[in-house]
Amino acid sequence: MKSTTMNRRTFLKVTTVAGGGLLVGCSFSSPKLLSTPNDVKEDLGMWVRIGTDDKITLILPASEMGQHAHTGQAMLVAEELEANWNYIQVVTAPVHSEYKRGSGQGHFHSSTSQGTGGSSSIMDWWEKLRHVGAGTREILIGAAAQKWGVPVSECKAKNGEIHHLASGRRLSYGQLADAAAKLSPPDNPTLKSPDQYRFLGKSMPKLHTPARVNGTAQYGIDVRLPGMLFAAVRQSPVFGGQLKSYDEAAAKAVRGVEAVVPIPSRFAFGSTMGLLAAGDGIAVVADTTWHAQKGLEAMDVKFVGGDTLGLNSSKVSEKLRSTLNDMGKVDVDAEKVLEVEYEVPFLHHATMEPINCTADVSADSCRIWVPHQNQDRCMDTAKEVTGFSEDQIQIHTTMLGGSFGRKSTKEYIEQALIISKFIQKPVQVIWSREEDTQHGSYRPASMSRFQVGLDKDGIPVQWENQIAQQSSHMIKTVPPLRWFNFDPMTYPASVHDGMIFDLFKKHFYNLKGVKMSHTPVDFGVPVGAWRSPPNSINVFYTESVMDELAHLAEIDPLEYRIKFLTESPKHKAVLEQVAKQAGWGTPLPEGHGRGIAINDWFPLDEDVTVVAQVAEVSITNRGKLKVHRVDCVVDCGLAVNPDSVKAQMEGSIIMGMSAAMFEQITIEKGQVAQSNFDDYRIAKLRDAPEINVTIVESKASPTGVGEPGTSPVVAAITNAIFAATGKRIRKLPIGRQKLI
Amino acid sequence: MTTLKINGKQHTLNLEPETPLLWAIRDTVGLTGTKYGCGIQQCGACTVLIGKRPVRSCGITVGEVAGKDITTIEGLSEDSKHPVQLAWIEEQVPQCGYCQSGQIMAAVSLLERKPNPTDQEIDRGMLNLCRCGTYPRIRKAIHRASDLLKEVS
Repeated sequence: MKSTTMNRRTFLKVTTVAGGGLLVGCSFSSPKLLSTPNDVKEDLGMWVRIGTDDKITLILPASEMGQHAHTGQAMLVAEELEANWNYIQVVTAPVHSEYKRGSGQGHFHSSTSQGTGGSSSIMDWWEKLRHVGAGTREILIGAAAQKWGVPVSECKAKNGEIHHLASGRRLSYGQLADAAAKLSPPDNPTLKSPDQYRFLGKSMPKLHTPARVNGTAQYGIDVRLPGMLFAAVRQSPVFGGQLKSYDEAAAKAVRGVEAVVPIPSRFAFGSTMGLLAAGDGIAVVADTTWHAQKGLEAMDVKFVGGDTLGLNSSKVSEKLRSTLNDMGKVDVDAEKVLEVEYEVPFLHHATMEPINCTADVSADSCRIWVPHQNQDRCMDTAKEVTGFSEDQIQIHTTMLGGSFGRKSTKEYIEQALIISKFIQKPVQVIWSREEDTQHGSYRPASMSRFQVGLDKDGIPVQWENQIAQQSSHMIKTVPPLRWFNFDPMTYPASVHDGMIFDLFKKHFYNLKGVKMSHTPVDFGVPVGAWRSPPNSINVFYTESVMDELAHLAEIDPLEYRIKFLTESPKHKAVLEQVAKQAGWGTPLPEGHGRGIAINDWFPLDEDVTVVAQVAEVSITNRGKLKVHRVDCVVDCGLAVNPDSVKAQMEGSIIMGMSAAMFEQITIEKGQVAQSNFDDYRIAKLRDAPEINVTIVESKASPTGVGEPGTSPVVAAITNAIFAATGKRIRKLPIGRQKLI
Repeated sequence: MTTLKINGKQHTLNLEPETPLLWAIRDTVGLTGTKYGCGIQQCGACTVLIGKRPVRSCGITVGEVAGKDITTIEGLSEDSKHPVQLAWIEEQVPQCGYCQSGQIMAAVSLLERKPNPTDQEIDRGMLNLCRCGTYPRIRKAIHRASDLLKEVS
């Protein structure tokens, strides 16, 4: 395991809490109040609170959106604390610098903001949370030793109690909490060795499961405040459009409607230097969501203009293709040559919980309850809209009813704040499903051309690859990237050779003659992170092309890949293991085929999670596709909670399969053509294949699992279609493309 | 005024009869376990039971269900120990959990109709959407709940 440089972040500070108990905080500024909608005054301390009733509350930095990050992070603390798991309860941290991630563990993609994303909740907090647990354990031991008048070395923490081995005496953590609060915690607590783990590496039941099966789990949409009103919002369907007219009287004639609030065009991403105007919006506020929605319908809102006016999906494709043509083809001189183009559409996250935010702005303070992945962005937005300072603002992160990258933008927080400020009452903004679908932060549309030359043995001697892609927000918000027209999110997971001043780690395929370039294209459609950016695009491209090359070279696709994994033993092992598990090469029924694909996460990090998958599909003689089985092998270092890893792989496989088979956002007349689940089709239960997940045993430090299972399955399915039918899918979704 | 009988309790509500049951349950009665997902009976997040029938509460009005027995997730059991809930916990089904109230209500009703469902019957009977992809576990949990229900009876 990696050791960490001790820094001030690992120093703990403790204090007693009113009414007794132990609070474990940190060495600088005092903890802020943290509250829940039910109890706004409870001070929970910074990391750990141990009550005299033995209850342990952990304050965790991750947003909980179904990835079980709360359970995983709680396990890190509980392991070192030697806690009784039954006494653990958790809350999401308030905004504070102490909860910023990226605290020096070197993940390329982890920003230093307080937020959750990039599958990094465990790896970002692997060191810190274990130190918090171990430090707390040591002061509890110290308190017990003091009480009994025995040396610390004779005391041992076990399952929520300190035991004095010689005398058989024991005291619970709750009984020791007050005394422990008077002790100084150690600067450098001793961590357990892996053979002492009771929780880590074991499938612990998820902390939130009981609340998620009885209706008590609180999502953003479930927040209820006294006197709260509900708001329905409509935004310009053409991105960046302006409000033209609306019939306020008609809205106010609807029963229960209390106010109409125009919301001027602001900026959806990052700080105000972001250029992605979301367009004007308008809200109707009423006593119930239903009345607000009815008022909005009655109001006959009209918009005009917009950045995407006149855009449609065929223009998107034409522009991407002409951009590739402008970049120019090259002459490939080789024994055999593959020249192909691939294309993927915009995708929507389609979280089951639609976008929502609850805000209560008063004259001198503001409170927000929001399902969100980035608490810093929530705070920045609140400061911008209200003009308040940080100590006047409270951000409460609720549970997220799915996110996958979507719930990281600021526009919906702005809306709730603007409305609450205007009506001077608490308000809950809920987007209708239609609004949610038409105002996403979509996975970028993209097109890629490959010209690959093979020698007589089928080995690439020249690999020319160009990508034209809707540019990510990064290129617009980070000036140096804008100057060079360089979008860093285009490169990772494409086969490249380390390029750009050797800034990037090399791709796991050891290929010669690789040249890769990209041109960002701006359509004015808002884009963002969709579970596993940029793998969700590039892994489909590169793993399809590897398959095409294998067939061109007349070499088995598994064998072919292995030829280029000479410097990536972990990848090779995972690929071979999944092939074996799936019975690669064994006979299949008529009309069936297998496809294989591999990727890693995050592609530019030193330590990566590797996932390989094999899909088995069949195509009926009427051309109907069915995915029967997906085998998956994942090496993510130590699997902190193996059942969570398994769940993430299962869910990722189904989401990836859904995207491959059904999903696309298309643009018509400058706006998103889809509006609800009837025209944005996602996978149903009947589509779900048999899924077999194997986790590679590892003692390495943990790496992320929320995203890397999403992308290989896409190419595994299309490669399997080729194996079954000879039909190569080069454009997603598979949809109604003729397969035979 | 409309009277709704939810989880065995009478609620007299000052609502227009055309109010969707979903919003009456959530915003007026204040039971938030039933979720809004689509508003057009596509996703099933708002599934409740009317009698023993699974109904997408966004697509039925309070006028249509006045006086009938309505069961929401909160009324399924007092202690979260309905066999379907127990099976959901044993199989660790939920990821984000947002759709699970609706999934559980749909499963309860499926098991009423088909106490020993085959995989194919589960595929046909369970049409609720789950974006996290918990479908394989839902399948397993329904089989497990089927076994638990037999032990109970």
